[in-house]
Amino acid sequence: MRVLVVEDEPKMAALIRRGLREEGMAVDVAGRGEDALWMAAATEFDAIVLDVMLPGIDGFETCRRLRADSIWAPVVILTARDAVEDRVAGLDGGADDYLVKPFSFAELLARLRALVRRGPVERPVVLEVGDLRLDPATRQVWRRDREISLSAKEFALLEVFMRRAGQVLSRFQLLEHAWDYEYENRSNVVDVYVRYLREKIDRPFGTDSIETVRGAGYRMRKA
Amino acid sequence: MLDRLSIRARLTAAFAAAMLLILALAAVFVYLTVESDLEEALDESLSARADDVAALVGTREGGIDGPRLDVQRVGEDEEGFAQLVDADGRLLRATVPEAEPAITAGEAASAADRAIFITREQPGIDGEARILARPAGEVGTSVVVVGASTEDNEETLAGLAGAFAVGAPVALLLASGLGYVLAGRGLAPIEAMRRRAGEITLEHSGERLPLPPADDEVCRLGQTLNSMLDRIEASLERERVFVADASHELRTPLANLRAELELANRPGRSANEMRAALLSAAEEVDRLSRLAEDLLVIARSEQGRLPIRREPVELLPLLERVRERFGGSARERGRELAIDARAGATAKLDPLRIEQALGNLVDNALRHGEGPVRLSAALGDGMVRLEVSDRGPGFPAGFEELAFERLTRADGGRSGGGAGLGLAIVRAIAAAHGGSAEVTGDGGSATTVRISVNA
Repeated sequence: MRVLVVEDEPKMAALIRRGLREEGMAVDVAGRGEDALWMAAATEFDAIVLDVMLPGIDGFETCRRLRADSIWAPVVILTARDAVEDRVAGLDGGADDYLVKPFSFAELLARLRALVRRGPVERPVVLEVGDLRLDPATRQVWRRDREISLSAKEFALLEVFMRRAGQVLSRFQLLEHAWDYEYENRSNVVDVYVRYLREKIDRPFGTDSIETVRGAGYRMRKA
Repeated sequence: MLDRLSIRARLTAAFAAAMLLILALAAVFVYLTVESDLEEALDESLSARADDVAALVGTREGGIDGPRLDVQRVGEDEEGFAQLVDADGRLLRATVPEAEPAITAGEAASAADRAIFITREQPGIDGEARILARPAGEVGTSVVVVGASTEDNEETLAGLAGAFAVGAPVALLLASGLGYVLAGRGLAPIEAMRRRAGEITLEHSGERLPLPPADDEVCRLGQTLNSMLDRIEASLERERVFVADASHELRTPLANLRAELELANRPGRSANEMRAALLSAAEEVDRLSRLAEDLLVIARSEQGRLPIRREPVELLPLLERVRERFGGSARERGRELAIDARAGATAKLDPLRIEQALGNLVDNALRHGEGPVRLSAALGDGMVRLEVSDRGPGFPAGFEELAFERLTRADGGRSGGGAGLGLAIVRAIAAAHGGSAEVTGDGGSATTVRISVNA
């Protein structure tokens, strides 16, 4: 397992490197976010341990840029900043885990192992299908540069479509993902909401991103 | 007693009292005016009647022996009469034949000369009678006496008084009610502000007192209180940031300490490895205690309680002590550390604090600056100017002022070590001496930090 440690405090960096190496991991250290970006682009790391307070671009920004560069290695943010807003910023910025200093090596190692098990699956923060973009954190949707305002249910349905772009989704599948058990009247609610959604994301733009698959359900065109 | 009432009640009471006074004055004025108008009108009608009677007396039919005075009868006998008496007061003619003369002999005598008005009870007349007696024709002969009841006037005035008696309390009540409502309206924004003020905790930022739409005193009070809340919130926010930053700074050495100890505790460590771990741990403990001490200095100085013990200090030995402390690390970095002060120059300073401030500056210059570091002290105009300069590029543009804020670093990281407290402490020490600290640089090749304090 190869891990990139991004930490500017020399002593902490050395300690983490030693602690991980003793567990049989290969460890590289970057002192700046900018260095981490090119190192991660050049080498496929299995995990990245990222500090927040860095000279130059900070850890949150580094994480965002890694994801923007399509680097999907799991990121653990390891920082002394423990405020809730910081944790939210880190996780919504594309990090997979957040650990506050002082930390226990045993826990850091366990979290790294858990993350590596999941592997570097593509998991963008902002979903993109064609020229349609959806940000689950800010709950915003755009087509090209125009923001589209959706109701909560329409948003949930669109997110289901965008996460499975290209797949045919049956009405039942859509219900399962976008509605909960409390919703009893299930007769044609999916069709109704698909119609609402088309009115907002397709009609004004002359596009046809949600297509009806006769006898099967609906599908979001991939591009 | 009045002081204990609410403002609303007091305003209403004052309003009612003023209203009562105005109503009373108005009532008295109207009453007196109407009364005098009525009297005047009565007297005028009496004069006119007397003129008529006198004219009648002058004619043949109406003459002294004439039969026709009763044409002058007006209305009922109870409301008025006319008589003709001679200068001795004997009745010559009368509208009511069997009547007594309405005036006495004395009155008749004076009325024979000129007209007189008398007001008194008169038999056969309701209420009081107003009587006019005047010469009938030739002065000194006979006297025309006309009289009228004043009862109508009395009734009119009584009616007026009655209207006042009923109307005034009603008007007063209405006015007080109106005053109460208006006072309530005027004070409602204050009540709204009071209620909100009871809820504001400053835990959620941006909670402010509601302001009335009008630009009045209450609105200005609200604005003033709100700007006070702004200031309190800003200072609370600074405190919060400081506590967050301080805890962050304390966590860094703690994290190192914990990691070091956890790694040392893994099985199979040699004695040498253990010793190295202990040394490193001790280093972190030093760092922690220095940090705690620094934070304490900052916290105290912000409360204005940084104690300063001034004593006469020779400047040159002071600088020498600083050079001695940093001589080792300057040599390691291949940097020159020069001092400059006039021998024998002394100033009253807290030597330990000033040494701490100079130490921070030299440490900064060695770690972040370039070239030789020059440490100088000079006296002049009752001030001591202590300067530390180097040949480095100094602070990034715009960071000069920010540099003195606690826990700020020009680069945002901490690879150079230090928590960003150094300059904040320098400024705190200068301020505690009643002086100041400032950075000057020429933007590239020299940076100077100067502490100026009273000698």
